[in-house]
This record gives sequence, structure tokens and C-alpha cells, in this order.
Amino acid sequence: MTIATTSKVGKKTITVAVSGNPNSGKSTLINGIAGTRLQVGNWPGVTVDKKEALLEYGDKAIRLVDLPGTYSLSPYSQEEVIARDYLIREKPDVIIDVVDSTNLERNLYLAVQLLELDIPVVIALNMHDEAEKKGYKIDTKPVEEMLGARVVPTVATRNEGTRELLEAVAEIAEDPLKHRPRTLSYGDDIETAAATLETRIRKDYPAFAEQYPLRWLALKILEEDNLILGETGLRESLAGEALHHLKKAHSEDMESVMADARYALASGLTREVLKVPEIRKAELTEKIDKIVLNRFLAMPIFLASMWLVFKLAFDTSKPFVDWIDLVTTGPLKRWAEAIAAITHSPAWLSSLTTDGVIGGVGFVLAFVPVIFAMMFFITFLEGSGYMARAAFVMDRAMHKMGLHGKSFIPMLLGFGCNVPAIYATRTLENTKDKVLTSLVIPLMSCGARLPVYVLFVGAFFSTHAGTAIWSMYVLGIAIAVLMGVIFKKTLFKGESPIFIMELPPYRMPTAQSLLIHTWEKGRHFLIKAGTYIFAVSILVWFLLNLPWGVADKKDSLLGRGGQIVAPLLAPLGFGNWEAASSLITGVVAKEIVVGTMGEIYTKKAEEAQKEPPPPLSEDLREICFSFFTATKNAVVNVFSTFKIVSLAAEEDPEGGNLRSRIRAAFTPLSGYSFMVFVLLYTPCIVTAIAFRHEFGTWKWFGVACAYQTVLAWLVSFVIYQGGKLMGLGG
Amino acid sequence: MTLLSVLKPGERGRIVKIAAKGPLKRRLMDMGILVGEEVRMEKIAPLGDPLEIRVKNYNLSFRKKEAEEITVEALQ
Repeated sequence: MTIATTSKVGKKTITVAVSGNPNSGKSTLINGIAGTRLQVGNWPGVTVDKKEALLEYGDKAIRLVDLPGTYSLSPYSQEEVIARDYLIREKPDVIIDVVDSTNLERNLYLAVQLLELDIPVVIALNMHDEAEKKGYKIDTKPVEEMLGARVVPTVATRNEGTRELLEAVAEIAEDPLKHRPRTLSYGDDIETAAATLETRIRKDYPAFAEQYPLRWLALKILEEDNLILGETGLRESLAGEALHHLKKAHSEDMESVMADARYALASGLTREVLKVPEIRKAELTEKIDKIVLNRFLAMPIFLASMWLVFKLAFDTSKPFVDWIDLVTTGPLKRWAEAIAAITHSPAWLSSLTTDGVIGGVGFVLAFVPVIFAMMFFITFLEGSGYMARAAFVMDRAMHKMGLHGKSFIPMLLGFGCNVPAIYATRTLENTKDKVLTSLVIPLMSCGARLPVYVLFVGAFFSTHAGTAIWSMYVLGIAIAVLMGVIFKKTLFKGESPIFIMELPPYRMPTAQSLLIHTWEKGRHFLIKAGTYIFAVSILVWFLLNLPWGVADKKDSLLGRGGQIVAPLLAPLGFGNWEAASSLITGVVAKEIVVGTMGEIYTKKAEEAQKEPPPPLSEDLREICFSFFTATKNAVVNVFSTFKIVSLAAEEDPEGGNLRSRIRAAFTPLSGYSFMVFVLLYTPCIVTAIAFRHEFGTWKWFGVACAYQTVLAWLVSFVIYQGGKLMGLGG
Repeated sequence: MTLLSVLKPGERGRIVKIAAKGPLKRRLMDMGILVGEEVRMEKIAPLGDPLEIRVKNYNLSFRKKEAEEITVEALQ
């Protein structure tokens, strides 16, 4: 047992690890206790969230560390390894084990393993209200006596019992030795073998006896836990004769013998303390699932709800995106110009601040509403229990492409914006699944690519506009399916990850949980991604405007870059520097392709007659007023979502001019080839940041970038050259 | 004796053997799929896979391939 450390303020700090099954309400409980004091980070080197909070409690400080939700502490899943490594290496003072009272036996299986660690345990008997409603009666006294652990009934959704929980923690910290957990007997033969091992380790390997909880180490060696065997180099044969007896008595492998023994304890305990009513009522979850997972209704319900979520997420965020755009391109820009004029700044500095800096800020901010909205809905789907059903319904189809049932929703979100889609892969537990899903997400044609299609379709295929645009989406999906299969057989050769998933009861997520998770993601994006994206938009400004004062964009850094790249694109039908330069800036975000084309092809109409800038007060009023309008529109959109919408894109008044230029520079065939290239080539820089963020390395973005660029070139090549062969004209 | 994968929705069985090895077996056992345990087939997903079963008073889903590793004796 470690001695509680003393914090800066001189208070004793008690470190508390919070453990529990997934769906046990652990997150809600922690959110309830810690609220805004919760700090979210990553466990070192992995993509699993690490939440921590420092609380004041009387004369003590309590540091809560949220361990990943796990069903067990076996050495197979990343989450389990993180949890046990933390418990073994950091040796927290107390463990809070959040237990779902409505599912006692399976939850106690984890509790039994936690008790082996010789750290005092407080069991939070969570969802106590739900258990009572079901008519369950749980006698807490015998649990406390049998386990030597404190038991506190809690209702995390109403923040009930959390004070008692902290009280118990503080009390234990006063005298940890008095609260050591009971040693549970796993049966005579196991106990004998474990005892022999303990004696041998203490005698021959005193260092290990110091490093690990001795009994736990002995049990792990007995069950041939490959992590521990690897770490220590010890073998179960150390148990000698006792092991021999044990193996003779059970015809199973030792790992199964131990799992059986632990479950036997959990079941025995459950039988002892839990009284369930004689007649089991059909539960709400069963009733809902009868409809939602019905053979014939499941698919339509699933597709309808996905469509709804998608529409809601984008319709509620769009007004705010427009508002941010309005504020940054309107008043903010005007103020910057005014300041530049007052301070007599040189023209380049003025342009850098207004176009580069403010443009960059606006660009970063424009993603925030979308990310907030998406994360809100994803958190809702997860917390309510529907995400598991969605995975259940879709798994077969997704599995065919080497993906997981849960891959579907992130991919679907990709049609809106690839960035939150990559973030949404967090719902996949397995890293392989997560990487594979993220690698195909950029093939989902996001909203930013639509303006490019609209421009070209308007120029060449206006009679078949709908078909031409849809063909892009279909092509993206088809290639995603193909790439999924290819990746599965190459990058991820070997066994496909196991699909074993609990279908938790439907529950209403608390508003607090929803808001905290949504806020965390949005904030994270702003701080981490914001800086990168901001830097890149400044870089683009330099590319476009250097050397300073270039009259012809062809001579700018960007134009020169375009000239270098152009020959590579010639076999695809668009080997001119204009197209190449647009594609270069499109790396930042694909809709910029259109903007750059506008700037290059149409000599900007002479600066529109400058109206005298409105006074500051009017600007401020406009900002506030338009924000309210945006909020109103977001609310209105929630309702109008239910109406059928068409894919009609807005006509840009200046578009006509650009369209005729495009007609001159491209043929219908090379135009289509260009659209395909924009669909497929490298994900945008913001997606890159999301990749980096989720995987902690640039590696997977590198893979996506490389394969997509090659793929884009190949597919466009086939379309253009194939089309020419078929006589579609060059 | 039949494989768990062939049970129809509503049918029950008692697990007599788990043929899976390594991580898959451990994962199944951690989730309460143990020899002697009673399970009930709840649903089959609309596309025919995965399955949903009830075990230890909760609902668990895995693919047919995994269910083929589990032998049960049918219960009435």
C-alpha cells in the first residue's frame, strides 16, 4: 500500500481509481461527482480517453482517475491492459468499482478480480433505482462482510449516493489496513497451488513479491496470463505438485478453470444477496427491441433514424456555420481593415491579417458547430443504447467489407464532414476496426466536395445534374467497399477482430453527460486542431500572395507549384496550371477548389464600390442579431428536417461567369475526370488533424493520403482515357 | 446436442462445451458464456447475422461463427 502523497496545498491526496463494466453508468457517475473539474486526456500511447479530476474533500484532496470500462482484467483488450497496468503500477489508494445493480452477477465478476489486487474497494451499487423498479432486493450487509469492501447504493443519473461514496473513500484512507479486502477462496485445489506459488516467489523472487500483489501474481501465473508470464519470466510449473493435482482434477486449460472459479464466486454471492421477484415482467427494453430489432422493421427503422440524425446534426449546425462566416468575413474583416488604415500598415500586412489570419480563424471556427452537433448526437446514440442496436443491424453488411457493425455510423457521418466522422470512430473498441474505418471514411463524399460538383455539373451536365452528382456519391461508396476488402486482405491480414457486444438496456442519457462529452470534443478540436489549421491557412495566404505584388496568379508560389504539378495531371485530361493550383489549395479543404478557380479564372471584378463602413455599434448589433437568427433557424430546421429536401444547390450569381470559363478550359470528359479526382484525392488538412488526434501518429493519415492520391490518379486516368477510347471526346 | 448457432429465437439450451481457444474463449467466458450456463436465443439480425442471446440475465450479441464454437443441449 502506498502512503497517500501530500499535495501542494498541504492536503493529503487520496488517489482513487474508478473501475467498472461498460454501460454501468460509470461515466455519468464521474461526471456527476467531478462536473467541470474533469480533465480529459489520453492514456499514453493509445487512443483511449483518460479522465481525471481533483476534488477537495474536507481536509483531504481526492484524485479520481477514470479507468476504461472493462468486463474483466484479462490480458487481451487494450482497455483491460490499461486498467490493470494502472492498478498494478500506480497502486491507487482506493478503487471505486461501479456496479450495475440490475446486472449483478456479471458485474461482480470484475469486482472479484479487483479484490485480488489487495487494494481497498468501494462498490458503488449503481442504478439502484432501476433495480428497485424491477423488484430486485439487494442486501448490502452480506456483500460488505463477504468481500471486505464497502458498498454504497448510488443513482448516478440523479447524483444520489455520490457524497456517501466519497465519505467511504475518505474513511478508508484514514486506515487502509483495516479495509483490506477479504481473500476469497477459489476452492481447495486452486488455493493450495496458489499458496505454493506464493511461498516460492517470496523465497526465490523477493523483488516480484515487492512489485506485485503477491496473491494476484500467484493467481495470474496459475492461469498462464501471457502478459505476466512475459513480464516476470516465471512459469506456472513453479507450483510443482499442486499444479499437477489441479490439472488432473479439471480437464480444462487453467485460464478457463480460473474464469470458472471467479464466476462461481460471483454467482454464489449474487444468489446470496439478490432477491428477484418470482414473475419477471417484460421490460421496456424488450418491448422496444421487439419493434426496433424486428426482422422486417429493423432495417427501415435504422435507416430512417440515421437519416434523421444526419439531417438534424447538419441542419442545426449550418445556421451557426453561416453566422461564423458572416461575422468573420463581414465585421471582423472591416475592423481589421480599419485598424490597418489607422495604423498605416503596409498593404501586405493588412492583407495578411484580413485574408490570412481572420480567414484562418473563420475557417477553424466554422468546423466547431458541426463537431458539436455531431458529437452530441453520437453521444446520445451511445448513451441511449441504440448504437449497439445499430451495430447489430448493420454488422453483416459491414463485416463483408472487413469492418465492424459500429463502423457504419462514422462512415455515414462522413457524407456530412469527414472530420467528426473520424472522431466518431472512437465508438469502435478495437484499434484495427478503428483504423480501417478511418481509412475508408475520406471516400465518403463530404459536403465540401459538393460545390465542386455543382460547378462542373452546372457547366457540362445541367440536363442530368442529379444523376451526375449522385454518381460521385455512388462511386465513393463503391470504392470504399472495394478498399475495405483490399485492406482487410493486405494491411490487416489475419484474424478479424472478435465481435462480442452487450446489448445494454435502453436508457436516457443525462443532459450533463451529453453536454460534457460534446463540450470536451469541441474544445479539444478548437485548441489542438485549431492551431494547426490556422497555421496552414496562413501558409496558403503566403503561397497565393508571394512574391508580394504578383499581378498574374501564374507567377505566385501557388501558380508555380501548379505549373510543376500540371504535367502529372495531363493524362487525366486537366494538365493545366489553373486546375493543378486549385487542387493544391483543395488540400486545405476541398471547397476551396472552387474559390481558387474563381480567383484564377475570373479576374476579380474591380473591387466593388466601397460603401462607407457601418459604425461599430451597428456591427455589434448585426453580430448579435444574426446570432439570434442563426439560433432560430437551427430550431426551425429541427422541424423542417421532417420535410423532404432536394439536393438542389444554390446558384451563385457570379457562378455564370466562372462556368463559361470552365467550359472553355475543360471538356465534359475532362471535367468529369476532375470531379472524380476531387472526390478521391488526399483527405483535407482538417481530416489529417483528426487522424493525428485519434491515432496519436501521422502514420495512418500518411497511408490514407498515399493510397487515395494514387487511387484518384488511376480512376481519373481510366475514366478519361477510357472515355476517349470510347469516342467521348477529349 | 446442437450448436448454439442453430437454435431458433425463443429456444433455450445449456452450454456443454466451448470449442473456442485463446482470446475468443477468454472473452466469451468473461461475458458469462460458461459450461453449465443456460442461454436463450433471442433474435437473429435482419441480415441473418449476428445473433442475440440472453445469458446471465442480460443480452449479448455475437456472430454465427462464434456461436458455432459453442455446443448446447437443448432445453424445453
